[in-house]
Amino acid sequence: MEGLRRLFHRLVPRSVSDDAMDREIGHHIAELAQSYIAQGLTPDEAHRRAMLEFGGCEQVKQTIREVHVSALAESIAFNAQAASRFLRKSPTFSIAVILTLALAIGANSAVFSAIDAVILRPLPYPSGDQLAVLYQHDAKGRDANHFVAPVRLEDWNRMNSTFQAISGYYLDDLSETSGSLPERVTEALVAPRFLQVMEVSPALGRPFTREEEHWAGPDAVLISDGFWERRFHRDPSALGKRLKVGTFSYSIVGIMPPSFQFPNRDVDLWAPSAPDAPYALRREATWFTVIGRLKPGVTLQAGTADLATVQSQLGKQFPKPDADLIVQTEPLKETIVGGVRSSLLLVYGSVSLLLLIACSNIAALLLARTAEREHEISIRYSLGASRMSIVTQLLSEVFALALLGSLTGLLVAAGASHAFHLLAKTLPRAEEITLNWRVAVYSLTAAVATTILCGLFPALRGTRRGLAQGLASGSRTQASTRNPLQWALVMVQVTLAVTLLIGAGLLLRSLQAIARVYPGFDPTHVLTFQVSGSWGETSDMKGVVQRIDRTLDGLRALPGVTDVATSGTLPGVSSLYQTEFKIDGNVQPGHPILADNRFVSVGYFGAMQIPLLVGETCRQTPSTNDVMVNRAFADRYMSGASAVGHQLSAAAYNDFQTQGMIRGIVGDAREEGLNILPVPTVYSCFNAPNPFPNYLVRTQGDPMAMAETIRRRIHELEPSRSVYGISSLQEHLDDASTENRLRTTLLSLFAATAVALACIGLYGTLSYMGRLRQREVGVRLALGALRSQIVARFLFQGIRAAVIGCLAGLALGLGLSRFLTGMLYGVTALDPTTYASVICLILLVAALASLVPSVRAASVEPVKVLRED
Amino acid sequence: MAPLEKADLLQGTLDLLILKVVALGPVHGYGISQRIRQISDAVLLVQQGSLYPALHRLEKRGWLAADWGESENGRQAKFYRLSAAGRKQLATEQETWNRLSKAVVQILETAH
Repeated sequence: MEGLRRLFHRLVPRSVSDDAMDREIGHHIAELAQSYIAQGLTPDEAHRRAMLEFGGCEQVKQTIREVHVSALAESIAFNAQAASRFLRKSPTFSIAVILTLALAIGANSAVFSAIDAVILRPLPYPSGDQLAVLYQHDAKGRDANHFVAPVRLEDWNRMNSTFQAISGYYLDDLSETSGSLPERVTEALVAPRFLQVMEVSPALGRPFTREEEHWAGPDAVLISDGFWERRFHRDPSALGKRLKVGTFSYSIVGIMPPSFQFPNRDVDLWAPSAPDAPYALRREATWFTVIGRLKPGVTLQAGTADLATVQSQLGKQFPKPDADLIVQTEPLKETIVGGVRSSLLLVYGSVSLLLLIACSNIAALLLARTAEREHEISIRYSLGASRMSIVTQLLSEVFALALLGSLTGLLVAAGASHAFHLLAKTLPRAEEITLNWRVAVYSLTAAVATTILCGLFPALRGTRRGLAQGLASGSRTQASTRNPLQWALVMVQVTLAVTLLIGAGLLLRSLQAIARVYPGFDPTHVLTFQVSGSWGETSDMKGVVQRIDRTLDGLRALPGVTDVATSGTLPGVSSLYQTEFKIDGNVQPGHPILADNRFVSVGYFGAMQIPLLVGETCRQTPSTNDVMVNRAFADRYMSGASAVGHQLSAAAYNDFQTQGMIRGIVGDAREEGLNILPVPTVYSCFNAPNPFPNYLVRTQGDPMAMAETIRRRIHELEPSRSVYGISSLQEHLDDASTENRLRTTLLSLFAATAVALACIGLYGTLSYMGRLRQREVGVRLALGALRSQIVARFLFQGIRAAVIGCLAGLALGLGLSRFLTGMLYGVTALDPTTYASVICLILLVAALASLVPSVRAASVEPVKVLRED
Repeated sequence: MAPLEKADLLQGTLDLLILKVVALGPVHGYGISQRIRQISDAVLLVQQGSLYPALHRLEKRGWLAADWGESENGRQAKFYRLSAAGRKQLATEQETWNRLSKAVVQILETAH
């Protein structure tokens, strides 16, 4: 410890404190004064004389300071020179180390840049940590609807005491028709106080006025920077122009700054949604996602408690439906990034293990190198250098390597930050990932840590005095042929590589298992898209139903189309909407009937090829309300086939009431995602769950080939609407598993690199041992040992290290595999097949990596090496 | 004899003198200046302006170590002592000095 402290002070010299200098000088003057007092002077006079004799205190102190600064500068210059000499003297070694570190530190910094931007940094809104998402939640769990009624939002905002303001939004996908062609726009309809909660103001123009936020007030819309660019080429005269969006017409009052992309980056327009509109007054009419801004210094916990009080007051005032509702809250940041945190941390953990492997690899290289420089080191000792100065010099060399490595690594990180932007669909806040000074500082810190990790051991070991002095006479050594430290480093590398490989193996096997699953529906040859519509249209539900029917009929008539349907949510893409049902009006206390509630048109089962098992397919007419259930529902809640003919209704009261007769039972499908087992599901046969449902078109050939035909047909049918989101269903399913595939790919890549590094470490160490023991091998051979025996001895050493590393890696892997739970499918975290194959693979490659150097070590010519001495 | 001026001291001589004085036992800056003055019969007067920077320089090089302690008059003072490296350095410098002064004396005595 003492040695470390001294080393630290040598690298980072203590700046001499003024206080210490003052005390030292003060003492001198005091002693001097005392001597004058002894000579008979008065204390005052003595002190004055002493000060006079000492001369300018400030000047002395300045000279002392210069001593310290110049010592530091000298030391830096000397060590930098030595380091650059070292790099130039062994370029291959240097380049190998720099490249290894560049990759390891670069990958690490790249992942750090993502973690920093996505998880660590606050949201890009002023005081983003004050923002929280507020949900209403059915306390009895009968309804998964989290949206909040406009009147309730206004109550919350008025009655609470912990939030600065509460607002909300919902999204509409619409057509904007003031241009030559209808253009699809995403409009956020926002509750009053929206900009106040977000604390942003328009870059140009003005926010909404009070009047504009009320029903029948003046119309107004704010446009995004992207829309301004696209439609108006950044012409400021866009202010005041009118937009025709769906059935509404707005005038543009402001343009938002480019950084403002809330609730998502696709939003083009923000328009007020009046809480006092006639259709918004019922407490059952729920549509807002609610955002609140806490008062400064108030915790979310306090805010949540406050809202709970408010809601219980509302429950007394409006027992139905408010008595059943509770308030749930979540930091806005958590809502945005919570889903990817575990994946990002997993990748970060793996890439850090990789850096550790690289470090121990380089440490082993350095250990061998310092051993070879024993002669040089002993000469420096004999020239009077202290151990500290030699260690400092050795560390400076490593630091030079690490610094170059981390600088090159920043290039890797810069490239990666571009790659991250391509993941924008999967990774929230991906556009905020940049190479900035925080990443640079991180990278530099990594270089320092690497220097200490790689360099300290070899430097301390290589400069042990006894060893070096003993060697001053010659370069041959017996002492270092055993090198337990070298082998320990190899074992560390194998251990970490095994750990990474286990993680990658488990994820790979999960991915395989998912690929083998038949989801219960056929996702191939299906084209999906949406057609713009607005929630405003729902005041004439009949019209919406007819409009969608018309579109479905028009599409069905197209050659090459075999089936068409609409669905509220896409099959195989997670969107669980859990609802509690009553069968024939009965609720069984303690046994709630919970099911995923999906709205589909009658053609859905044909289009998705979900088989009808019992009964008949539902119909949708103005007078009927039919539902279908899946087998899981029938089995769990209705004991089989007798389900047909019973009445189902939603237990909780809300606007989207599902109510109807069970017409038939269909096969189980993995509607919630390929990796999620089918859940009990109720299909409500209704083609218009929202004004812009997903269309699903089954085609004979390649679905994307039909895209243009379909787009044209819809333009004929609905000239003022736009078609958007065209892609194949398969693509949606792939997108849904991007995060999974990405982390699996990355982890596999890291694991492969780790195995390669561990092999290089093993190979290098054995080769080095072979060189050190040339003489010993020569003697053995001369004494009649067989070459195969020598090979076996070396091989044994290598494989023993691999076996010990494997065992340690298994233990570590077992311990760390619990971080993977929740990411695995079809395998447990303790899957024996994975563990066994990892062990086999490692032992195999370890044996291969050991073979070459072992054979080479045994191929020395006894006569030659013995004569050399 | 009159005191020598600071400039008359050979480069590096002050270091040697300090090392030698400190070698006698832990001592503070004031003590060092007093000893040099006494032992040289007041021929050598070390300026504080060069003494303290020299002490810090020697400490920096690792030849001197320093601790705070109490002086004989009960004051807090910084005591310097010789490190192992300093002892070696003192031996080297003393050796160099002896050879140098011997050579100088030889020249002065023979080159009449």
